[in-house]
Amino acid sequence: MVSQNGIKYAVHIVSTNFGDLVAKVCECLLRRGPLTYQNIARSTEISLPQVKNCLLLLIQHNCVQAFSLEPAGDAADLSKPINTKYIALFDNIIHRTRFSKFIAVVSEELDKECVELFQGLLQHGRLSLKKMIDRAKSGRDDCAVEDTIRGNLAKLLDSRFVERCPAGEAVLSPPAEEGTGARKRGAKSSKIVAKSITIEERILDAAAPMEAKRFLFTTDADCKKTSENSSEVLGGEKRKYDSLESERETSADDSHVPWRVNFEEFLHRFRHKACVENVRERLDGGAAIALSAMLEATRSMEKKVKSDKTVPLSINTIYEEVMKKEAGRSMTLDHLRASLALLGCERGSNDLYMIDLKAIIKHAQTEEVEAIVLKRYGRDAYRIFRLLMKTGRLQETDKISGTAFVDKKETPKILYHLWKDEFLHMEKVIVTTPRQLQFLLWKVNRSTLWPHLLDEMYHTALNLCQRVAYELEQENEILNLPPHKRVGPLEERFTRLRNVRMLLDASLMRLDDALMLFHDF
Amino acid sequence: MNSMRMMKAVVRGGGPLPGVDQFALARVVEGSRNLICLPGMSKRKRPELAASGAALTEHEKTLYSLIRSKQDMGIWSKDLKQEAKIPDNAAMKALKSLISKGLVKEVVNVHFKARKHCMAAEFEPSAEITGGPWYNQGSLDTEFIDIMKDQCLRLICKLGVATVDMVADEIKRSRILKADYQVQQIGEIVKALALDNDIVEVKSTGIGEFASIQPGKSCYKCLRLPGASKEPSKVVAMASVPCGVCPHLRECTPGGIISPTTCDYFTKWLDF
Repeated sequence: MVSQNGIKYAVHIVSTNFGDLVAKVCECLLRRGPLTYQNIARSTEISLPQVKNCLLLLIQHNCVQAFSLEPAGDAADLSKPINTKYIALFDNIIHRTRFSKFIAVVSEELDKECVELFQGLLQHGRLSLKKMIDRAKSGRDDCAVEDTIRGNLAKLLDSRFVERCPAGEAVLSPPAEEGTGARKRGAKSSKIVAKSITIEERILDAAAPMEAKRFLFTTDADCKKTSENSSEVLGGEKRKYDSLESERETSADDSHVPWRVNFEEFLHRFRHKACVENVRERLDGGAAIALSAMLEATRSMEKKVKSDKTVPLSINTIYEEVMKKEAGRSMTLDHLRASLALLGCERGSNDLYMIDLKAIIKHAQTEEVEAIVLKRYGRDAYRIFRLLMKTGRLQETDKISGTAFVDKKETPKILYHLWKDEFLHMEKVIVTTPRQLQFLLWKVNRSTLWPHLLDEMYHTALNLCQRVAYELEQENEILNLPPHKRVGPLEERFTRLRNVRMLLDASLMRLDDALMLFHDF
Repeated sequence: MNSMRMMKAVVRGGGPLPGVDQFALARVVEGSRNLICLPGMSKRKRPELAASGAALTEHEKTLYSLIRSKQDMGIWSKDLKQEAKIPDNAAMKALKSLISKGLVKEVVNVHFKARKHCMAAEFEPSAEITGGPWYNQGSLDTEFIDIMKDQCLRLICKLGVATVDMVADEIKRSRILKADYQVQQIGEIVKALALDNDIVEVKSTGIGEFASIQPGKSCYKCLRLPGASKEPSKVVAMASVPCGVCPHLRECTPGGIISPTTCDYFTKWLDF
């Protein structure tokens, strides 16, 4: 369930990207959950054709997914009309603010032409090969362009920066048959029993192309013109990718297959980077090199973003990977062993090493929360909070005061403040013999505090965006002036605006890292 | 009033100690005015005044035996009057007389500093009453704690990686402080340093820098150099933005009385 401020932030993003009408449709879906297109029109009081256009736009930009429930088996049911519903994809909306980060990653790894193609995909949401070629040619009939685009798309697919689009409409099996009909991607299927998955996850799983075809692209096709007008792949299309097709068919189809940016790959990379940076700061450079090498060597084997542990590796494999990087060349095998031990590496029975990534992420999250406590409530509260985070169980007021070295008189006040602001959970214990005594016990409840803080972060992100917009609006006049007319006080105002913008944007960027840390990692 | 709370920890004579900052030593001497004798919290039995028993009035005798029966816990003067069932005025008079004769003393109860708390002179108040070794006159002796923390931090930084035992040994060996500190008390200070995030607790791996420490044993590494700023060096996301520390974030809405566009905290933050 998305928090209230999360929804407001997402709506703001859609509104600035696509305008208020689209934002209204999106808000309706975010607040009310999956709806048919008639119901959206009813709720938003927007005309049906307008709702249709808004939905097409949102689907094109991967912010909405269409789905329907599979009829319950009988042939008679086929006569009933299938109700297509639409669900807003909150995560994909938030990813829109991360485009610059995605581009930075691609620029580091691939050449300029690939980056341009990638930017085109970000700009248009989804593009077929034909569309990509048309954009690049811009009217010219040039075979070389087509080959270049094919090559660049293949490179982007090879790095998994781009993926095949999901099915236009996901078909969900009825709840009774859950787990048999719906296709599951990778390790998710093993989790069905352990944890009930949300409707959004079920829909995304059902719509996702088969893993084997997700990054499949044939590059040997000739430069050929397809005169027929390609129908844009939107909500109406019910393309299924799971049936086996011959090589020839695939090749012929490739020009119309829609591609999009694979957000998941970027989350993998950002999560890895966050883990390595955390280890570098907390432990040392050697530990960071070791972890980085382990993640690098097993990236393609990682099934989901939130994997708890790294894939088990032997010390020799890790050492080989360490040697590939310049920073790792000075590392001896003993040094690597010591770094792995420092990382708290678990060694399986077959002498393979793996690292608890979840623990590193948890540590990074805790650091962020503790920094908030320090800034908001001071050093004594910081010590108390760290103590309660560390022990993880209920502690009595006096005991807290003694261990955290906070005055006995001050401790209850600090604890009360933290409790009032939902940072702590409190329990009263009353002892009646020999006389009535009341003890207060405290602990940090992560399951309530984390979502609460995440909501505050969305609120803060929205505030920063709004302040940027406000500052730009205030100085609109100066922004419109040609540079040579910006002199004296006008120039000062312009410089101030530039500094304000830089500070706000940098803060928003950092805050977005924290949002990912709490929501996606 | 309390003879045990006199200055006990003083720097011993002799040349400069290896690895010990002389400036820090000077601070220890200065701060030592407030130092307390940690390990010596035992009761000091005073010889009974033979004559005083005879000189006591009935009321005084009743009160004195009641107060003595409470041993090192003492008793609140109001409870005393109630339990002794003596009229207020008479009780006050008798109590004053007992105090002036040196048989009873007033102590500060850390939980109720304003209350008059009485105890027989031969007892030392229990940790429950004083607040424990780190309290002085009912308040946390932060100055002393800070000095102890600083010394421990210096030693841990000097040692690179250290267990609590190593820190305690080093303190004993370097003879910075005259009084002996138990390992448990040094442990409390070290734990507080870890809570401050000045040091970090790590488990010894037995190799590399941990070679001298048994594998699996808890030890500590320095995160902040002594004398360095206590402000965290890491740039954090939420806490570096006004909203991250704003007490009115919940009431803040676009277009509301409190809003990001009219926010004073923002205006101050963006004042270039």
